[in-house]
Parts: sequence; C-alpha cells; structure tokens
Amino acid sequence: MDNKPRILIVDDERPIRRFLNTLLSTDYLVFEASSGEEALHVVAAERADLVILDLGLPDMDGVEVTHRLREWTQIPIIVVSVREQEAEKIAALDAGADDYLTKPFGAGELLARVRVSLRRMTKEASEPVFKTGGLVVDLTTRIVTMDGNPIALTPTEYDLLKTLVKYAGKVLTHRQLLRFVWGNAYESETHTLQVNISNLRRKIEPDPTRPTYIVTEPGVGYRLKIN
Amino acid sequence: MDDYSRPDPDQLLTRIETDQYDDRRSRLKVYLPYLWGILLLALTTVVGFLIELDISPTNLVMIYLLDVVIAAIYLGRGPAILVSIIGVLAFDYFFVPPTMTLSIADTEYVITFIGLFLVGMVISALAARAREQAESAQRRAADTIALYSLSRDLAAAEGLADIIKSVRTHLETDFGDDVVVYLREGDSLYPYFEAASSEIHVGEIEMRLALWCYEHSEPAGFGTNTEPTARSHFMLLKTSTTTMGVLSLKPLDPSRPFTTDQRRMLEAFTNQTAQAIERVQLTEQTRQIKLLQAAEALQNALLNSISHDLRTPLVSITGVLTTLEQQGESLEASSRHSLVVTAREEADRLNRLVGNLLDMARLEAGALKVRREPSDVQDVIGTSIGQVDERLTGRRLRVEVPEDFPLVNMDFVLIVHVLYNLLDNALKYSPSDSPLEIQAEILDDEAYIRVLDRGIGIPEGDLENVFDKFYRVQRSKNVTGTGLGLAICKGIMEAHDGRIWAANREGGGTIITISLPLS
Repeated sequence: MDNKPRILIVDDERPIRRFLNTLLSTDYLVFEASSGEEALHVVAAERADLVILDLGLPDMDGVEVTHRLREWTQIPIIVVSVREQEAEKIAALDAGADDYLTKPFGAGELLARVRVSLRRMTKEASEPVFKTGGLVVDLTTRIVTMDGNPIALTPTEYDLLKTLVKYAGKVLTHRQLLRFVWGNAYESETHTLQVNISNLRRKIEPDPTRPTYIVTEPGVGYRLKIN
Repeated sequence: MDDYSRPDPDQLLTRIETDQYDDRRSRLKVYLPYLWGILLLALTTVVGFLIELDISPTNLVMIYLLDVVIAAIYLGRGPAILVSIIGVLAFDYFFVPPTMTLSIADTEYVITFIGLFLVGMVISALAARAREQAESAQRRAADTIALYSLSRDLAAAEGLADIIKSVRTHLETDFGDDVVVYLREGDSLYPYFEAASSEIHVGEIEMRLALWCYEHSEPAGFGTNTEPTARSHFMLLKTSTTTMGVLSLKPLDPSRPFTTDQRRMLEAFTNQTAQAIERVQLTEQTRQIKLLQAAEALQNALLNSISHDLRTPLVSITGVLTTLEQQGESLEASSRHSLVVTAREEADRLNRLVGNLLDMARLEAGALKVRREPSDVQDVIGTSIGQVDERLTGRRLRVEVPEDFPLVNMDFVLIVHVLYNLLDNALKYSPSDSPLEIQAEILDDEAYIRVLDRGIGIPEGDLENVFDKFYRVQRSKNVTGTGLGLAICKGIMEAHDGRIWAANREGGGTIITISLPLS
C-alpha cells in the first residue's frame, strides 16, 4: 500500500484534470472525478485525503458538494473557481471549504495550497507556540512578540490573532472570523472586523500599508501567511 | 365602419338655422349691385334733364350706353342687363317725345332702343367675362403664391416638426386650425405632436375617423358623407406612390362646406405636405443607415484590434510550446527557461485581456453588481499594491493615508480592481526607477484616493478621452494594453456614484483621482 496522500481532482474539463494529475502525481496518489455525484462516491470509496473541487460542475453546485462532504468528513477541500463565481466561492468557504484558487492559477500556487491544507490536517492539535517570520504567539501564556519585542493587544485583538493562528495559512471568511471571535450574532458586522484587523496590523506589521502577515483576500476574508 | 354615416339630428338642425340667417345677409350682398345700377341711371337722367336743351335726345343715348358699360365692368352681368333695360325705358319715358309717356312719336327711335339694348347686352357679356377671367386669374395667382410659399417653407423644413408647423401656419389663414397630422406606423396611425403643442386633443372619434380615412383612401368628417357632423375634416396625405398618413383640420367657417376651389387647393396642400414628409422620412432613414454603417465600421475596427490583441499572446504561446514539443531535448536549459518565461508572461497577458473584456461586457450590460460595505481604505490600497508587488522592485512607493481615516462605503473587490488598474498604468507609463505615490484624503463629503506618477503624462487634449473604451494615448507605441483599463475604472466609479479624472502633475507625470461619496 502506497503511503502517499490521496488527492481527488473534481473537474468536468479533461485537459484540466490531466494537467493537475501530471502536476500532483509525483508526490500524491491522484484520483479523478468529472461530476459532483461521482466525486461524492469516489471520496468515500477511495478514502481521499484532500479534494480539489471545481465550482462549475455540470450536475451539482459546488456549494452543495461541500455541504454533502462536510456531513461526514473534515478532509480539506480546495475550491477552484473563475472570477465570475465570487459569491459561490464565498458560500463554499462558509460551508467549510478550506481554501480557494482562482482560474487560471500557477502550479506553485496550487502545490503550496495543497501542502498547507494537508499539514493543517496532520497537526490538528496545534503546538502551544506559533512562529512565522518575526511573529511569535504563545497560546498558553497569551504573549505575542514581534522580533522579540512584546506587543500589547486588547482581548479582542488577541482573540482575532489566535483564531488566525489556529487556521494559519488558511483563508478565513469575514463571516467565519466574526463567528469565531465575536459569536454568531455578529456575523454581518464587517466593519467591526475591519477596524480590529486594521488595529492589529498597525501593531504587528512592519509596514501596515503593505501587510505581510495578515493578508487580505479581496471580498473573501483574511489569511495569516506562513513561511 | 358604418357608424360614421350616422349624423346627429340635433346638430343638423342647428346647422340649418345658422344657414338661414347667413342667407339673408348674403342675399343683401347680391342685390347691392342692382341698386347701384338704378342709382347710376337716376343720376344719368338728372344730368340728362340739365343738358337736354343743348343736345338732341339721340346723343343722350350715349350717356345711357356709358352707364351700361360702367355697370358691366364694375357691377357684373346681371346689373348690366338691368341697367340696359331700365335705361331704354327711362330714355323713352323722359326724353323721347312725347315725353313722360312710354309711347313714341317717331318709330325711328325703335332702332335706337334696339341698338341701345343690344349694345348693352353685348358689352355687359364681354365685360362680365373679362371681369370673371380677371377674378379667376387673380385667384389662381393667389393660390399659386400660397402654394409656392408653402412649398418653399416645406423645402426648408428640416424635420417633421418643421413641416407640420409650416403646414399649420399656411392652413390657418384660409382653411382652418387645429391641424393634426397622423402618421402611418405599420398598419396603424398615430397622431404626431411636437412636445409643445399638447393643447390639441385627439379623441377616440378623431382617431377612428383618421383611420377610416386612411383605410378607405377617402376624405372623412366635416364636409363629407362620412360623419359630416365631425368638427374636423380628414384628408389623405398622399404622394404619387404611397399614403404617408392623414391630415385633419377644423374649418374656419363651420357653417359651410369647402368650395370646389378650396378643395382643389387643400388637395394641392396635402400633396405637398405628403411629399415633404416622405422626403424627411427618407432623409432620416438614410441618416440611420449611415449611423449604422459608421457603428459597424467602428465595431469592425474594434474586433480587428481585439482579435489582434487576443491572437498575439496565443502566437507566442503556441510557438513556445511547439518548439519545446519538437526540440525540447536538444535545447539548452537557459533558452528553454527563457521560452517558458515568455509563454507564461504571454498567458498572463491573455488572461488580463480576457478579464478586461469580460469586465467591460459586464459593465455595458449593466450586469456588474456593486456590493457596498464599509471598507478600510488603507486595506484597499494595501491589497491593490499586493497585486502589483512583483513589479514594484526598484521603485519607491509612498502611501499617505491619515490615521483617523473613516471606513468608506464601497465594493472592496471593485475598488481594489480600480486601484490595481491605476497602479498598472502608472507602472507602465513611467520610467522603471521613478517614484510612485498613493494619497487618500477626506474633503467635504467625499473620500479621495490619488495615484501619482512621474511618467510621460497625458496630452492636455486627451485628459478626458483616456477614459473612453479602446482609447490609448498615441505616443506610447511600445506599451502593450487594450485601452480598456481606464474605461473599466470609470464604469466601476460610476456604478459607485463616484468620479474619476486625470490631471497632469506639476513637474511631470500624471495624477489620477477617484472620489467616493461618504454618505
């Protein structure tokens, strides 16, 4: 039995499946599906570790596929969309998809997303100290430092940073962040989120006008970048 | 359509009464020349008495003959005949011996009487005919002048409104007012109005009469057999080949139908009008065709330009791929790498172009949805910078956003797209080591974001054109682009009720400013 992670590619376009298959087959065991129904079947049958899901499937809405997968499995789902599918993309992310790629995308981008998603899966019980670049967040002592200098955060800012750290590398939608940090009742208070992100950036980013840690995913949400 | 031949009895009765009253007046007018004739004779007789002693009665006849001629010329045929009869009797009674009786002593006078009478008849006939001819010539001249003046006005008319205005002016002096022109539209008619003349009301009856007239090719309404009690007269507007529509007018004198002359004249008027309308419509059609042709030519030019822009990257990509396919093995690593980089860059370019074309199409179709949310301008600027990050190496970029800048309502993704386009332009049209600046500012109730470069600037005359679709500043031949970026930016800003404009910067370079309303 091969120990490589098992990836399912769901796309109705054969050339795209072929390109992805060639790209991924060196490091992963790749399966293909050309429709939503087939995808749901193959995930279960082949015990896939990750799904790359195209949102423009002929038989089923990508959001629907995400919902049905999330009913029984937490395996990472990366949705692939074109620019015209903004709303569907966000809905899929809200429904539990882990990340997204916008067509056309480069090989490097795809491989990076796949790696991040799989890593998150394997070390779910996160380590008590998170490090990226000069940023260190100690989740047990609640101490945050940047290049060794302690940074004073308000409780909300800390909660926000903690959530980003917990899902480091993964995009979090506005709605998800609001739900995790403020609670379900605050789902639409985007401006509260914006103000806090802005304050947090001012404290941890070397140049808040060109953020390198907390990056904005336009129209979708935010992501804590990891190197 | 039989409904139209049902006159309303009440209205008919009123009409007859007015007719009787008018007849009395016009009868008086008819008898007046006869009275004048008799007066003339009386005068002659008095003069005759005064000079009777000096001349013989035979010569007095000449004076009576003069009366006949005067009557024939000025009073008409009837009065002239009356004057010649009474003249003979008066001459006999007053001057032929035995005077004061109608009997005659000398039978020679019978010849004088007959001569006087016959000459009177002939002269009156001749004079009356001459008079009638003169009168009809005069009338014809007047008609010709009226027609000429109408056709001159119609020839000068530049549109339907002009035509109808001049027809109205010409008809209201002699024929009637409330002129309405119904124009054909497919199988139906519609009344034409200039915006200003809404006081003329076209009711259901008028509309139906106009249609009836149009469908039966026959006049209708007042003065015809079809609904004669209608207030307006309906006539066809006919050219030699087609019927353009119907013209209706309310006669000046509702008590009497048009005379034959008037009808003939009206017909000439409507013919002229119909021709003028046809001419204007043909001109309009020609103009439309020309416009279409121009639009088509522009579209072709655009298609050519787009297909060129779309194909160029494909040419490079195909070239690279086939090269790799056929001699990938034998190529040196460095040249293989450079080929792949080229293909990749061209693919990016193609992707941008397709994205721009889709954006433009969506903007033009009104399908662009603006999702406005309070947004952090700092973040908007930062995100757009992030999208051009790779190209910023070696450039100084200064961002100025005041600390307390409020959240501004906007569609985050779209405004990032605008700023991305502005930065992209700034990078393309300025030297690779020149600095860039982005400034944000609140003034009154608007938020302003400016992108400033030290590039080649925009010619003064082009400052507005640069936002037009497919417009590119002529002098930048070596810069690739579709000429869509700024047009898309403008479309997005307009969808936000915001603005975008370009200005040249002091000391060289361009400033593009966008503004968003705060409320």
